[in-house]
Amino acid sequence: MPRNTITLFALFWLLTYSIIGLGQIETYVLGQGNYQGTVIQSSHESGESQAVNTLSDDGFLPNLNAASRFLSQATLGHNYEDIEAVADMGIEDWIDAEIAKPVSFSLMDKVIEYHDYRRDSLNDPEAGQSIRFWDYAWWQYHMTSDDALRQRIAFALSEIMVISRFSGFGNESYAFASYYDIFMNHAFGNFRDLLQDVTYHPAMGNYLTYLNNPKSDTIEGTFPDENYAREVMQLFTIGLYELNNDGTPVLDTSGNAIPTYTNVEISEFSKIFTGLSWGDRTEFFKGALNDSSYLITMNMFDDYHEPGVKNLLNGFQVPDRNPVDGNADISNALDNLFAHQNVGPFISKILIQRLITSNPSPEYIDRVATVFNDNGMGVRGDMAATVKAILLDDEARRCENIDDINYGRLREPFIRYFQINKAFDASTLSGNYRNDMNYVQIFVQQKPNTSPSVFNFFQNDYQPIGPIEQGGFVAPEFQITNSQSITGYINGLYEWIIDENIADEYDLFSGEDNDGYADEISTIDISDEQMYADDAYLHQLIDRLNLILAHGLLTPMTEQVIIDAVKEFEQADADDLELRTKLAIYLVLSSPEYLIHR
Amino acid sequence: MCRKKRKISRRSFIGEASCAALGSTAFLSSALNLGMINTAAARPHIIGNPNDYKSMVCILLAGGADTHNVLVPTETSEYQDYLNTRSSLALDINANPPELLDLNYNNAGQTFAVHAGMPDVKTMFDNGDLAFIANIGTLIEPIADANDYFNGGNQLPLGLYSHSDQIMQWQTSVPQSRSAVGVGGRMADLLYDMNTLDNISMNISLDGRNRFQAGNTIVEYAINNTTSAQNIGFDGFPSWWSDQGFLSAVKDSAIGSMVEDNYANIFHETFGDLSRQNIQSNAIFETALANVTPLSTTFSPTRLSQDLKKIAEVMSVRSHLGANRQIFFTTFGGWDHHDNVLGNQAVMLPMLNDALNEFNDAMAELGIHDDVITFTISDFARTLTSNGNGSDHAWGGNQMIMGGPITGNTIYGEYPSLALNGPLNLSDRGRILPKVSVDEFYADIALWFGVSPNDLDYILPNLCNFYSTSGCPVDPPSGYTPLGMF
Repeated sequence: MPRNTITLFALFWLLTYSIIGLGQIETYVLGQGNYQGTVIQSSHESGESQAVNTLSDDGFLPNLNAASRFLSQATLGHNYEDIEAVADMGIEDWIDAEIAKPVSFSLMDKVIEYHDYRRDSLNDPEAGQSIRFWDYAWWQYHMTSDDALRQRIAFALSEIMVISRFSGFGNESYAFASYYDIFMNHAFGNFRDLLQDVTYHPAMGNYLTYLNNPKSDTIEGTFPDENYAREVMQLFTIGLYELNNDGTPVLDTSGNAIPTYTNVEISEFSKIFTGLSWGDRTEFFKGALNDSSYLITMNMFDDYHEPGVKNLLNGFQVPDRNPVDGNADISNALDNLFAHQNVGPFISKILIQRLITSNPSPEYIDRVATVFNDNGMGVRGDMAATVKAILLDDEARRCENIDDINYGRLREPFIRYFQINKAFDASTLSGNYRNDMNYVQIFVQQKPNTSPSVFNFFQNDYQPIGPIEQGGFVAPEFQITNSQSITGYINGLYEWIIDENIADEYDLFSGEDNDGYADEISTIDISDEQMYADDAYLHQLIDRLNLILAHGLLTPMTEQVIIDAVKEFEQADADDLELRTKLAIYLVLSSPEYLIHR
Repeated sequence: MCRKKRKISRRSFIGEASCAALGSTAFLSSALNLGMINTAAARPHIIGNPNDYKSMVCILLAGGADTHNVLVPTETSEYQDYLNTRSSLALDINANPPELLDLNYNNAGQTFAVHAGMPDVKTMFDNGDLAFIANIGTLIEPIADANDYFNGGNQLPLGLYSHSDQIMQWQTSVPQSRSAVGVGGRMADLLYDMNTLDNISMNISLDGRNRFQAGNTIVEYAINNTTSAQNIGFDGFPSWWSDQGFLSAVKDSAIGSMVEDNYANIFHETFGDLSRQNIQSNAIFETALANVTPLSTTFSPTRLSQDLKKIAEVMSVRSHLGANRQIFFTTFGGWDHHDNVLGNQAVMLPMLNDALNEFNDAMAELGIHDDVITFTISDFARTLTSNGNGSDHAWGGNQMIMGGPITGNTIYGEYPSLALNGPLNLSDRGRILPKVSVDEFYADIALWFGVSPNDLDYILPNLCNFYSTSGCPVDPPSGYTPLGMF
């Protein structure tokens, strides 16, 4: 092994300080054009790619860097070939093609398959499920299906209509898989349908405690549970304050924001969400029958549903139905929420924050919310149209925004991890992928459906102290950025890339033969990079990584820091070149230009 | 080609930033208070002697703990009100095995019991190591009673009964703002000069990023309950890769450059600042933690007990951290008991009880029992009435404070009537208007910790609405005085 005098620790220092500290003046360019198929040039002088506007019949085609930038907005991860595909197709065609792809996979089916496998292997029809089935199913879907835009939107929705492993059903793989399938199914559907399925899903009913929630009992002095009533308004649909269509608060004559609801409305909505229980039960107050209970929408027990008038938002009144009809009440209430003027700007802003930038302009929110409100054909809540409006908007696409010092977002740590798997073609011998992501969560404090509460891993108005808070901006992802997770991410990179432990795989049942799933263990492939790892081609190596991971935003200084570091290592044989390549990847992924997506 | 330069000099940016900082804390915008900040920042804080150590531990019971079943009134008529209102959620005073443990306390006929899952809390209360604060909650200004509340005109906390707002306001004590920094952060903003190492925060978190410890200039340092000298910082690098001289040269040159040069993107700058502090702190912590001697006090395996154990260990090496003042924070979550409140509390309150008791023992073992306070906070209390077998979001509730410095065996504040027709009840669900402000609670703590009375307004900008401190512009209402917990 080569010996040298530089440490990765020191390099992280240097990157952190020099890139941020020296504060490069932002002059980096993502052209809107470039001829399709252009191969990225080695760029010894500046690290910039050539950007030439190329107007074709299809409008502007993105160059490779712009395609890469787009893909890190529209997907959870991509590789070089994906970049070429977008550059060839053009962004709008790519989006249309993604939206047209059917749902390719059912998480629930995969969980059931794992469960069957366990039962068969143990020759025990009573063998239970395991939460690991859900982890593996999620990973299998995302490693093997090519509906990248659907996956990205589903993940964003899972961070809005949150359920979490930290709950009473935290070990129920059936609950999480069947719930997550809602997001896959409705990512390009209608928001009202999404709201319907979420509201009736027993996982949400359990998580926000309105499953087995009875009507008021004046003798016992009990009242309907207010949990879902509150959170469905605050977090899933309308938020706390009346909004203009551009996401800014409506102000009263004194200049104060106007609450969307008070405890009176919460109390009224709490009456709506009474009478629901397990779909496979014929009696109220019973527990789940078995794992499969989570696959069936909740059933309305009208005897336990609060009778009478309910006064909801904007003066809407649910009538006093006789006989009581709880499902009709819920339908009215969800319609009432869905019709509220806040939903468009509220949901649009959150999705923009997840995909594009933490602080979208009011104009951007207004444009997207307008599409949410009416897709042009009189349909409200069209998710596909909304997603398309977000991704094609000038504020997402125009390169000038990159130079706005307030533009961008911190990449979510779990998505960084996911991107490594995609960028370097994680594969297994069998095509089956095991990964329960437990160490990922320990390293970066994030993995699907593990937030501490219904308020997600971070809140959308979180302000870290410093220039973000001082400027009145927000940076939600910084809420899980602390000395533990900063260090953990760097240590994770070491584990995943240098130590080659890219996934966490375990037995599916006690006694499973470890060798039996050796072909389900992921490895990443850096051979396309390693061919450039000797001194003569190092610039090509860095350019390639810069393109795939940082869409050309590495500064010349960062590139030089990494090249100098790699050159400290010998290049005598393949092992040397492999270590050099890993080091370069590790450092690019540690660089602020990568971590801050602009 | 899209090419655009946008350049902002560091000097002008700092100028804007510091103006913005004041602007964003609107409650400090009066000329009086502008003067006060400068005075506060300029006031040196003197360490009296080598043993002048003080530390506080804040335990956030996240989710809104139903504290009306933690501290229960037992005087006959008050207990009857409790029973009537809480109905199926009431703990039975006559149950066997007991559901309530009587406290050795009698305030003019008022008597109380704690949940039977908290026998050590009872013992510590009886022994004077622990006190309760009754009917405490977030307030901007006093509200006399339910009539006063419904007549309007009072400033109310933003987003009453909402988790995200109330959990934040308990940490900021500024219920009219969503952008305020934390009480612990502001204390550290003022008192940072009492510690001797610049690169280690006064504020150490066992639960990552939190509002309580975030100040205008201070950010918390996060560890976890398995952090040790062996695993802190970046791992995986063979020691022979290390070259401290090189590291140091890179660092010095980079810091030097940073001061001279320009910042750009605000996300880059923020991430860089956090990374830099993190790396510096890791190095100091690694050295300090190598000096930890195992405690003889045994701690339970629960997350909270292990967090408190780690806090005790960090306290034990405070001299290596240059720390004369420390503010610790951790979270014990899962108190949002919309469902099965009795069953859940029967499991969780003993965990809290054990952890507090173990930590109290550890403080004695380390000889700092009289230097450390530990207290609980929570989003809010819960509805007195049941939603079937759980309770929903409410407002005023009861909290605990523990440690040698306080006057224990006392219930501060006035325990309210729990009758639905009581003067402080705001709803047919049983939501109690708090009468002790979070400000009053923190004011006692800040003064004990070493904050000058003249600087209390910086820590607690609403305090003047309750009682007079040296900086109040107008006389506060009568009837409020410091709680006097110390």
